[in-house]
Amino acid sequence: MERKKIFLITQSLLCALVAGLLAGIALYLYFEGAAKQAGGDLFYYSFTREKAGRALLIVLPVFAVSLGLTIAGLVLGIRDENADKPVRDPHGMRDAGALREKAVHQKATSKVITLRVAVLVLAAALIVAGILNGGLEDVLAKGAAICTECIGLG
Amino acid sequence: MDKKRFRPGTRRLVQLYAALLYNANLKGYIDGHIYTGNLKSVCVPGFNCYSCPGAIASCPLGSLQNALNAAGHTAPWYVLGILALFGVILGRTICGWICPLGLIQELLHKIPTPKIRKGRVTRILSYLKYVFLAVFVIAIPVWFGVGKDVILPAFCKFICPAGTLEGAVGYLQHPANSTSFFQLGAVFTNKWVIMCVIGLACVFCYRTFCRFICPLGAIYGFFNRFAVTGVKVNPDRCNGCGLCVSKCQMDIRHVGDHECISCGKCIDTCAQGAISLKCGKITLKGPEIGKNADPEPVVRKRKQAGRIAWGIAVAALVFAVAWFNFIEPAISKADVPAAAVTETQPPETTSAPEATAVPETSAAPEETAEPETTTAPVTDTSGLTVGSEVGNLLPDFTTDLLSGETFRLSDHRGQVVIINFWGTTCAPCVAELPYYEQLKVAYPDVEILAIHNRAGAKKAKDFLADKGWDHLDFALDSKEKGLLPLLNAADAMPQTIILDRQGVVTYNAQAPLTYEKLETLYKNALAH
Repeated sequence: MERKKIFLITQSLLCALVAGLLAGIALYLYFEGAAKQAGGDLFYYSFTREKAGRALLIVLPVFAVSLGLTIAGLVLGIRDENADKPVRDPHGMRDAGALREKAVHQKATSKVITLRVAVLVLAAALIVAGILNGGLEDVLAKGAAICTECIGLG
Repeated sequence: MDKKRFRPGTRRLVQLYAALLYNANLKGYIDGHIYTGNLKSVCVPGFNCYSCPGAIASCPLGSLQNALNAAGHTAPWYVLGILALFGVILGRTICGWICPLGLIQELLHKIPTPKIRKGRVTRILSYLKYVFLAVFVIAIPVWFGVGKDVILPAFCKFICPAGTLEGAVGYLQHPANSTSFFQLGAVFTNKWVIMCVIGLACVFCYRTFCRFICPLGAIYGFFNRFAVTGVKVNPDRCNGCGLCVSKCQMDIRHVGDHECISCGKCIDTCAQGAISLKCGKITLKGPEIGKNADPEPVVRKRKQAGRIAWGIAVAALVFAVAWFNFIEPAISKADVPAAAVTETQPPETTSAPEATAVPETSAAPEETAEPETTTAPVTDTSGLTVGSEVGNLLPDFTTDLLSGETFRLSDHRGQVVIINFWGTTCAPCVAELPYYEQLKVAYPDVEILAIHNRAGAKKAKDFLADKGWDHLDFALDSKEKGLLPLLNAADAMPQTIILDRQGVVTYNAQAPLTYEKLETLYKNALAH
């Protein structure tokens, strides 16, 4: 096998290992905590800062090797050259005329300009209506406090 | 070595610029607090979690879900207007140029591994994002919000990797927010695993999240065909060779369709010089080589304009960083109004609560953070440190209640006092309040004060009208009252502080409680 191919495959495995470790440790901690809580320990926390720190120590060496290989690969210019090759007729648009026709439709005709203006006016009207009905304050209320459910805490 | 290969292009610089501008509140990473100023009422165009400590404005997708969730009370005109405005002006150029999540995906794709190329399968998968939009952003929030009055921004809660990476990791990395780890459970584990899978997929497959999942891209895609800004094809020059489509990494059928992110790679690919990136009639990037290349003076003039634009942009960024980190008067932990304090004074230098209760039934000691006193020890006459950490004497304060009465903490000496920080927009807060009501009914001697967060406090009274939580005392915080900073409450809700009969803190954590936990904590405080 070519050296380049071995390099790319090794790097793929390392990336998969980093992601797998990160996901696997989280799952392990969660299920371990859930089992203890089901056993009656109400205040056993699945995740703590200390546990997160220990998990990072497990992942960091693999991550460091992967990062090192990435830098080496970028410096040496090692990459999957197939990725640069054009995809032949990807979506079955064999007719050259079809692409040109699309381009004609895309031209800023009066219809397009009218549509733009209409949407702009509508957007402005909606924003004003939203400010008047308290929608702006709602956005502030949500954004000014941590959205616990958004970040997976809640 | 080809040095040009390592030089970032204009698009990469713009992406970095946008990421930094969206997250100009750099001090948030240092002090562990999010930005709470008025600019949070505005959305940024790209995907950027508003719970990220650096974020200076709101996430459009999170705001949309929240607005649809509350559509039963307030029509979501504002967020829809903002999205329409961004869509018609920029379309999916936002995805290609000013989305921080797009930048992260592209950087991950730079990792040298075998790559998955686009094809029929990826084209079919690209329609998945419309399913995510319909189900997680529209249907579930509307169904639960309007139909059942339950806060559920489903995409944020179950999927969004930006929330996990920027919000959760950004927030939890700070030692002051250690007690927030206690909230992590099934929701976090699910989101963390999804983030890892998406991150890994991005290494092999270009912009996996953007192409197959992102509902925001799906929304902007509707505007792409008539957006003012985007790549446009000159039909007089196009010979229909299809090279632009076959070289594009997105699942486009033609340049400028709903999948096109206007990255502009096709401009250099087109031998006919038929493609250019335009904003109305202004050409931002045009063909510079080949038979139809733009004339030299035009290119030079464009580059000159570009340099001026960069100068203005950098000045704006410097101003934004200075404003949000040094000037902006948004409420901070230091803004504790002295008028709210009675008898005892809070520590002069305040910090977020690092202490947490270690109930007697707790697990091994290493699983919980031990109380730490990080502030200057200010003591009262009993010799106890005044503060909000476990073992501290909570500073006395007075506040008006929604019932019209006045609450003074020192009036409740001899009773166990529970102070809960909540908000109407916080789903876990609303979910746990019935347990406090239940506890008050079961143990009438306990005093429970629920303080609503400053943001959105005006609507709290209406919200509480039909809830039937009549046994609880409710107070609204405001910038003037400054109760949350006074009691050293964190940005994340819910947070609960429990005091024993002497007013000493026995529990302080940012975590939702079940009735069983609450009852145990109450009994612990009673026995203290």
